[in-house]
Amino acid sequence: MPPIARLIGLPRPGCHSRSQPWRSLPWRRPSLLLSLAVLCGTVPLLQACQPQRPGGGLVVASRSRIDSLDPARASRLSVMQLLSALGDPLYAIAADGRIEPRLATALPRLSADGLRAWVPLRRDVLFHDGSRFDAEAMVFSLRRFMAIGTLGYQLSDRVAAVRASGPHELELQLKRPFGPLPRLLSAIFLTPISPTAYRAHREKPLSDRFVGTGPYQISFFSGQQQRLTPFPRYWGPKPANTGLDLVTLSNSTALLGALRSGEVDVLLSGSLEIDHQQALGRDAAAGRLRQGSGPALEIGFLALLTDQPPLNDPRLRQAVLRSLDHGTIERRVNLGLRPTLRQLVPPSLPGSSPGAWPAYDPAAARRLYREAGWCNGRQLRLPLTFRSDVPTDRLFALTWQAQLRRDLGDCVSLEPTGMESTTAYAQLDKGLFPMILLDWSGDYPDADNYLTPLLGCSEGSGNRCRAGGSVLSGTFWTAPGLEAELARSSQLSGADREALLRRIQARSAAGGPYLPLWLVTPRAWSRPTVSTPEFDGSGRVQLSRLRRQAPEAPTAQPPTAQEAQR
Amino acid sequence: MSRRSDLLRYLAARLALAPLMLWLIATLVFLLLRVAPGDPVVALLGPRAPEAARAALRSQLGLDRPLPAQYGHFLSQLLQGDLGQSLSNQEPVTEIIRSSLPASLELGLVALLLAALLGLAVGFSGIARPEGRIDLAGRLFGIGTYALPPFWAAMVAQLVFAVWLGWLPVGGRFPATLVPPVGTGFHLIDSLRAGSLPQLLGSLRHLVLPASTLGLLLSGIFANALRLNLRRALGSDYVEAARSRGLSERRVVLHHALPNALLPVLTITGITVASLIGGALLIEVTFSWPGIAFRLQEAIAQRDYPLVQGIVVVVAALVVLVTVAVDLLVALLDPRIRF
Repeated sequence: MPPIARLIGLPRPGCHSRSQPWRSLPWRRPSLLLSLAVLCGTVPLLQACQPQRPGGGLVVASRSRIDSLDPARASRLSVMQLLSALGDPLYAIAADGRIEPRLATALPRLSADGLRAWVPLRRDVLFHDGSRFDAEAMVFSLRRFMAIGTLGYQLSDRVAAVRASGPHELELQLKRPFGPLPRLLSAIFLTPISPTAYRAHREKPLSDRFVGTGPYQISFFSGQQQRLTPFPRYWGPKPANTGLDLVTLSNSTALLGALRSGEVDVLLSGSLEIDHQQALGRDAAAGRLRQGSGPALEIGFLALLTDQPPLNDPRLRQAVLRSLDHGTIERRVNLGLRPTLRQLVPPSLPGSSPGAWPAYDPAAARRLYREAGWCNGRQLRLPLTFRSDVPTDRLFALTWQAQLRRDLGDCVSLEPTGMESTTAYAQLDKGLFPMILLDWSGDYPDADNYLTPLLGCSEGSGNRCRAGGSVLSGTFWTAPGLEAELARSSQLSGADREALLRRIQARSAAGGPYLPLWLVTPRAWSRPTVSTPEFDGSGRVQLSRLRRQAPEAPTAQPPTAQEAQR
Repeated sequence: MSRRSDLLRYLAARLALAPLMLWLIATLVFLLLRVAPGDPVVALLGPRAPEAARAALRSQLGLDRPLPAQYGHFLSQLLQGDLGQSLSNQEPVTEIIRSSLPASLELGLVALLLAALLGLAVGFSGIARPEGRIDLAGRLFGIGTYALPPFWAAMVAQLVFAVWLGWLPVGGRFPATLVPPVGTGFHLIDSLRAGSLPQLLGSLRHLVLPASTLGLLLSGIFANALRLNLRRALGSDYVEAARSRGLSERRVVLHHALPNALLPVLTITGITVASLIGGALLIEVTFSWPGIAFRLQEAIAQRDYPLVQGIVVVVAALVVLVTVAVDLLVALLDPRIRF
């Protein structure tokens, strides 16, 4: 026997027992057995050492890391969600769409010309640092936001100046009358911050702290983890839980696994892959989880480049609008979780116009392709750019390609190309994409926040736009008088405004710069021992309403918005 | 000239070249980022922000200045040890690196330790019977772990041990229910210094799965390297000479063959450490490990120029340091090395 064999504990040649082959293995050595025993003992020990939050708070998981707590830097939905627990806006949109005063005590009072607005403020509100909230604090916050806010243009495009017209009254001087002012003031990035705490950060962001007026105050912050504790001197209803730990997990699989394994109590759906959402929905239907959903405010659509061939031909654009089988996309791509959309304004908002865009009609599409000179031995090759880092986009592109090949293969052929989203966004206004798949979610829930960014045109002639939202969206489309109608719609309110918004959408459908695809419904899931997540009208989970409770018997899965519509 | 002075001259030459290399890398990254498509302003504001808002932010971030001016500013900052501020949250890049580099180092070092232990044990065990069953299994292990796609292995480990069995956390670096310890940024060390058992166990629980997965994936390199080098050493003249002097096989292997076989493994370790600093991306992403590779990926997606530049320069500097240190160590251990 080679000496080295003895060294590592192999038996001598000839000592192998046929009946006990395991005896010849090296792990027969006591040291190896001991190591295995240690390993086997360590894992259950580590498993048993899952720490519990003092006081039984809840762990809420989402996908996006939080880079900054400063409302001036807020632009992502994940940050808005967190800020909604730490701060209060002047107004809030309730789940049924009503506007409710929060830090304001009533809706704004407008001057006769509509250029001045006065907002009465609450008197019983304290900031987390103990300082008092008043009109001066609100002025400080709004001016700071207009000066350094990432989304500062949302306010400074409409508001010329802000001042305190009284200790508890805010005065806004508007650049032009603006009907949806309360909805703009419901944006959480306009939440007030303590002038005392931010004195040294008047002109620069403060990322790792937040001193506002909300039901929670932040007690620990890192990009991946935030601890929220109830603010004992909060003016409103106290949170139903003893605190929250928000964590970031970087991929959809990890989020799904964390909820199923009980590592987290609540999961927010932002960026959760569609098949994972479906799996969680099934768990909810079986009573293993609870599921809540909010108003769909994110829209998916195709932007068609209208000033260059081939889609500069309006007949072709109309043909494309009628070539997409929304039903197939909803079933195959969205697994029934994203309702079909045939308008630009989400249905939960005033001014929506269900069915403004034409339905799938292959016969009409074929006729239009023929009129444009295709089909008769000529096949239109239609490029489609999709975002390669969005899994659903690729699936949509491939599914639509197959559907077109099946239904209109002699007329049109889709040529999908993937591109990283940041790269694609930066080239939208260069007119590089004949057709591109995009999504959009307004910064606050109002129709103006959908139509103006998508259809706005500050400089254009005829149907060609040279500057404005339409260019930034990659369509370069406008129509005579459309910009004036958009401006007028933002100055109106009530039924007149809704009628005008519907008319604008009808004109857009006739022009065909966009093909609306689907609505993204925000969802959240909780463990059976936690209450069902509730959403507000801005599509955010009301974190302060989450509470521990006894599990319920299995219930039927709540219908999707599409099912409810049917 | 003595070997010692040769060594010092070699060290001086390597260290003198390091700034030049770092400057080249920094310049290359600066230019590549500007040439690559994508715009940090669009990434921050979204694609539909008005042109005026884009222009204002571009000016605020200094991105409207001519490229040579931006480059000059970047270099002058770099010379002063200032890596600038992140575009996304205005936080100093050095602070971001300081908070995420220890996470990567902690993961990398523990993984390397596990890889070395496992790999060397597997590589060593096959020597008893060359071409035997254990040797064959070791070779298969080496090839298999080397060929295993990291993201797939990580997801399987995550699914089995975290989701199905529920033994270990799915991801993250620290329990959500505890506040991480403050100090060096190495949670294991900080927990020990704080004397907090829950923090230590919490850190360990989160470290086990990513470190084991990464360690397993790297162990094949060690196993194969040791196996080949040990076999070569055992067949060499000096081992035969040692045996002929009547030394015990244990002594021949442990004192004569193994040290020589470990020298190339040390070089491999150096290369592995260097690649680990920035190369554990897939493991970090899968396990939501807030390391520097993960931050780099996010920064690239957001076109956060200063953060990408800062991370690349720091990682490059670390790679230079590690490779020089390994070269020196090998030179000190192996008298045959000449410069």
